[in-house]
Amino acid sequence: MRSLREIRWQMADGRWQGGGAVRPSAVRHLLLAASLLLLAAGAFGQATSVNDIKTPPLRSFSMPQPKRVQLSNGMVIFLMEDHDLPLVRGTALIRGGSRDVPANKAGLMGIYSQSWRTGGTTTKTGDDLDQFLESRAARVETSGSTASTSVSMDVLKEDFDTVFPIWVDVLRNPAFRQDKIDLAKTQANTAISRRNDEPGGIIGREAAKLGYGADSPYARQSEYATIASITRDDLVAFHNAYVHPNNIIVSFIGDFDSAKIEKKLRDTFGSWAKGPQAPKATQDITPAKPGTYFIAKDDVTQANISFVSPGVTRDNPDYYALQVLNEVFSNGFSGRLMQELRSRRGLTYGVSGGVGANWDYPGLFRAGMATKSSTTLESVDALRGEIAKLTTAPVTPEELSLAKESILNAFVFTRDTRGKALDQQVLLEFYGFPKDYYEKYPSQIEKVTAADVERVGKKYVHPDQLALLVVGNQKDFEKPLSTLGNVTTIDITIPEPGAAPAKPGAGGGAAMAAPAAGNAEGLALANKVADFVGGKAKVDAVQAVKRSGSMKAVTPQGEMEMEMTTVAQYPNSVKVVMNTPMGSITRVISPQAAFMIGPMGTQDIPSSQRDQASSDMKTELLTVIKNIGNPKYTFSAGATEKVGTVDARVVEVNADGATVKWYVDPATGKLLRTVSHAGGPMPGDAVSEYTEWKTFNGLNLPSATIITRNGEKAGEMHVSNVELNPTIDANEFAKPPAQ
Amino acid sequence: MRARRTRLGLVMALLTFIAATAFAQDLASFEKRTSTRKLANGLTVIISERHDAPVFSYATIVNTGSAQEVPGITGLAHMFEHMAFKGSDRVGTKDWPAEQKALQKVEEAYAAYDKANHVMTGRDDAKVKELEKAWRDAIAEADKYVVDNEFSTIVDRAGGVGMNAFTNADETAYFFSLPSNRFEMWAFLESERFRHPVFRQFYKERDVVFEERRMRTESSPVGRLVEQFLSTAFIAHPYGTGTIGWPSDLHSFSATDATNFFNKYYVPANMVISIVGDVNPNEAWPIIEKYFGRLPNSPLPDTLRTVEPPQNAERIAILREGAQPFYLEGYHRPAVTSPDNATFDVISILMSAGRTSRLYKTLVRDKKIAVQAAGFNGFPGEKYPHLFAFFGVTAQGHSNDEVSAAIAEEVDKLKKEDVPADELQSVKTRVKAGLIRQLDDNSDLALQLAQYQTNFGDWREIFHEVERIDKVTAADVKRVANETFVPSHRTIAKIESTRPTAAPKGGTQ
Repeated sequence: MRSLREIRWQMADGRWQGGGAVRPSAVRHLLLAASLLLLAAGAFGQATSVNDIKTPPLRSFSMPQPKRVQLSNGMVIFLMEDHDLPLVRGTALIRGGSRDVPANKAGLMGIYSQSWRTGGTTTKTGDDLDQFLESRAARVETSGSTASTSVSMDVLKEDFDTVFPIWVDVLRNPAFRQDKIDLAKTQANTAISRRNDEPGGIIGREAAKLGYGADSPYARQSEYATIASITRDDLVAFHNAYVHPNNIIVSFIGDFDSAKIEKKLRDTFGSWAKGPQAPKATQDITPAKPGTYFIAKDDVTQANISFVSPGVTRDNPDYYALQVLNEVFSNGFSGRLMQELRSRRGLTYGVSGGVGANWDYPGLFRAGMATKSSTTLESVDALRGEIAKLTTAPVTPEELSLAKESILNAFVFTRDTRGKALDQQVLLEFYGFPKDYYEKYPSQIEKVTAADVERVGKKYVHPDQLALLVVGNQKDFEKPLSTLGNVTTIDITIPEPGAAPAKPGAGGGAAMAAPAAGNAEGLALANKVADFVGGKAKVDAVQAVKRSGSMKAVTPQGEMEMEMTTVAQYPNSVKVVMNTPMGSITRVISPQAAFMIGPMGTQDIPSSQRDQASSDMKTELLTVIKNIGNPKYTFSAGATEKVGTVDARVVEVNADGATVKWYVDPATGKLLRTVSHAGGPMPGDAVSEYTEWKTFNGLNLPSATIITRNGEKAGEMHVSNVELNPTIDANEFAKPPAQ
Repeated sequence: MRARRTRLGLVMALLTFIAATAFAQDLASFEKRTSTRKLANGLTVIISERHDAPVFSYATIVNTGSAQEVPGITGLAHMFEHMAFKGSDRVGTKDWPAEQKALQKVEEAYAAYDKANHVMTGRDDAKVKELEKAWRDAIAEADKYVVDNEFSTIVDRAGGVGMNAFTNADETAYFFSLPSNRFEMWAFLESERFRHPVFRQFYKERDVVFEERRMRTESSPVGRLVEQFLSTAFIAHPYGTGTIGWPSDLHSFSATDATNFFNKYYVPANMVISIVGDVNPNEAWPIIEKYFGRLPNSPLPDTLRTVEPPQNAERIAILREGAQPFYLEGYHRPAVTSPDNATFDVISILMSAGRTSRLYKTLVRDKKIAVQAAGFNGFPGEKYPHLFAFFGVTAQGHSNDEVSAAIAEEVDKLKKEDVPADELQSVKTRVKAGLIRQLDDNSDLALQLAQYQTNFGDWREIFHEVERIDKVTAADVKRVANETFVPSHRTIAKIESTRPTAAPKGGTQ
């Protein structure tokens, strides 16, 4: 740790010397302090009011600006030396974020940005990277947001040369290993399952959906279905679409020599070819209709209240006047909202609001608070009143000066470190704003007049155009929300795992989507399975099949072994004969009859079991293969999941209304597992694991199957002989005459 | 203002702050720019210079938290923190002599109302209503003299940022940052609020604090769980009562109670102020003497007598509700001043920090039964014997029992197997680097200096603590794990969901 020690010495020294050898302001300070001491000792005594205290001018200072370099492939590089601490930090900021993800893949950004790092690179697993980096107290991380993704590094100076190549490797050669995609999905699904637990989470999310429209890329939420549909290919495709030098801004700050690091970056990225340019920011926004919206939450003692309507973009010429307006409205404790609703009326712990501005797409006007259930309507009224005042009540000279001074005096904090100065330049580059934007910021604020503030209040705040959302326990409200007029109730029930994605429409609740149309990938996998079995043509030639073997059933009395023969005649007749220790049992399902013959005689099978059996027949392997191409059979490839050591693709098979999930080895087309949802007397998931396949008369079929119901083993089936197109007796499926 | 900054965040930040090796030099370099003085009234002030930009940050820590409360006034330490933004006899008033009389009347009216309201027998409803009205009328009269939020407004106007405060079981902290030309103004304001705080708008602010309770505790599943967890884990020590306080007390205590609390605990010798930034000590010390020297000297309050007795039976609290499952368990451990504190820190990092941590690897990455899991010290405070707690955010489709069993397995490993040398070294390396990274921020540094000065009587303990961490051995970890992680010393609290959701079919498992 020698270097550490040495550098910390430098750090302390650097701080002393950083501001220059002699600071004229120090002299001023000293004089001032001396005069104050004299004052204190004299007749005036100590200051008894803040107005008695003279404020010396703030010493002038200028924060160094980073060096900007642009490579011929379009990559922009910012370098900022900072020798205070023995650290180097770097970031590759890449255009393209969650707003660029297709709607049916909502949630992709979370999976992508997590597994980008945890999934490792083509040569190193993520776990190996964790071990290597953490033992050096180094970090290389990926993240994703609305407009961008990033790969960042943060290392002790001494480790820079060993960690830099890892940062580059993660940026350029991610492997997106399946196990880490699965891990990210577990986390994403868990987050979905928990999203209605905390009222603060609900109000934030649902108010954004009201403000931008539930389908907008700026507000839409992921669902189990969208998470399930995200594949490794999707992640690779996103990476390929956006990670090109012309979409990247690289920035480095720390204890380095700029010339050296510039050379290193040029050597590393100079030959990287340009790729397609990331698209401009989508403006796909459809604000909700004004009105009152309600979400019921019964386990809270507070109502959360939020008003929302469209805001502005940062390049709006009224932006500065709006900043002053926001300050008047909601600056800390001195703004109108806290003064009135918290300090004077004690209605809330926190209240805030303002006209939001984003860099390249509109922000939202928002005003929100939480209050005890019994003052919900009172608070709605009071908050609405404060909003209306923005368009009616004049801004007092006192308010104007307070707002402007607050912004201007605090401006120094926007650039009081080199890191902040660097971040500002990166941001301006990313959004295409002039690099002196922040230099000019104070003068723009200074220009704002009371008339400007009143004008923009009227222009951008529309009390009659607001959507009001209340989340809470309505039975405890002092009066019903309906006293405000028509109320639209929003159902936030989380669509069940496996269900089709709900149409996330405000006021609509979960509408059932049409059955999955299937996808090309699913069809391709189904064909692969058909090929594995022996080819569709061979399967089509099978009119009937007779299988014999044994079955081991798990019963409450223990395992019971029996011989079993099944005869299936396509499309819809099947007969099963089991020789049990208690005697022979025969079960027949056909269009003509459904019955069972056992030691106790012949019984008809109830219709519910009959439906189940018919559904089983529709989803039977060979039946499904025969129906590839039949529009009533669809195949939809979705998640990837481990079966044993294989990364199996899950294919949702919709077989003329009956459903089954196939777990397919994408490399071979081998069917590893099927899962279906059984009804009848024992409802639940029925899982068949095909543990062994054998070739019988040219067809590759499962010879050993383990069956589990609801997570518990139900039995094992072993097939020893298969006859294709056996001779079928005309009475094979006929019910014997009553005795 | 904030209550109960999450202990985990604080503790993790603290852990990463600590550095190791080469203390002599590090400490010397740090000392060169850091000076400490104890004023005649007992107030300790630390100044650490950094002249990168004309700004400074400060933190005031009062060595008093909710552990100093007794039944009837729970929540009062935090309530006082709110009142410290209401100003003084010179800040926040239009006419102090008149306001003082009006506030006196509010207190008299409230005392009469409160007494009539809480009689055990023969409550006279009409009389109570009349007294309540008299009290509310007195408030309305007193409100006429208030300059709303003048304290905060002065800070905002001067360009102050990050103005906030927090209260936890151990301490109350106040902090913000200002441009450096406002140093004297700051010294005036900060000393003013502890010289003669005025509890104006007290009863409105009490409503605000109750809203904070509704938000953090009552309307949040984890908030509800933590409240039950603490009151189950501690049967004698005040750590068993959450900082936010019980509803009955929040509805009852008075400005007079707050005054008494202030007089007893807000004495200069019980406070530390640290300032980090563009401040020249030669100019600053006279200003500090001038303003903070005004705080009257007063004896230190008695130390807390109650000590939590050894736990001899495992305890469990189960919340059955609609929220998704969540698992917490805690074991009693000694105070932060224990010689084993460094070993507890090592255990926490080993179990919780980063993707190589044991709980992440087992519960999150490999078994996928939790989406987050960690073990941490300092719950709910650290000044007195407290808890080493584990939590797991149970993954969808999995149960708290699985999380509990997996944590138990990892704890068992700590008790039975020596920590491999490279793993222990990795912890120590990260602790060192953590210090350097934390030095970057004036505001964080101010808080750390003041906290160490408060807890140990010397901010240099930051470095000494590091010395101890660097000396922790595998044998220490094993010994402390065996002494601490004993089932009969354990308290479990969990949310068992009445609406569990299965993992998506065909999704991940």
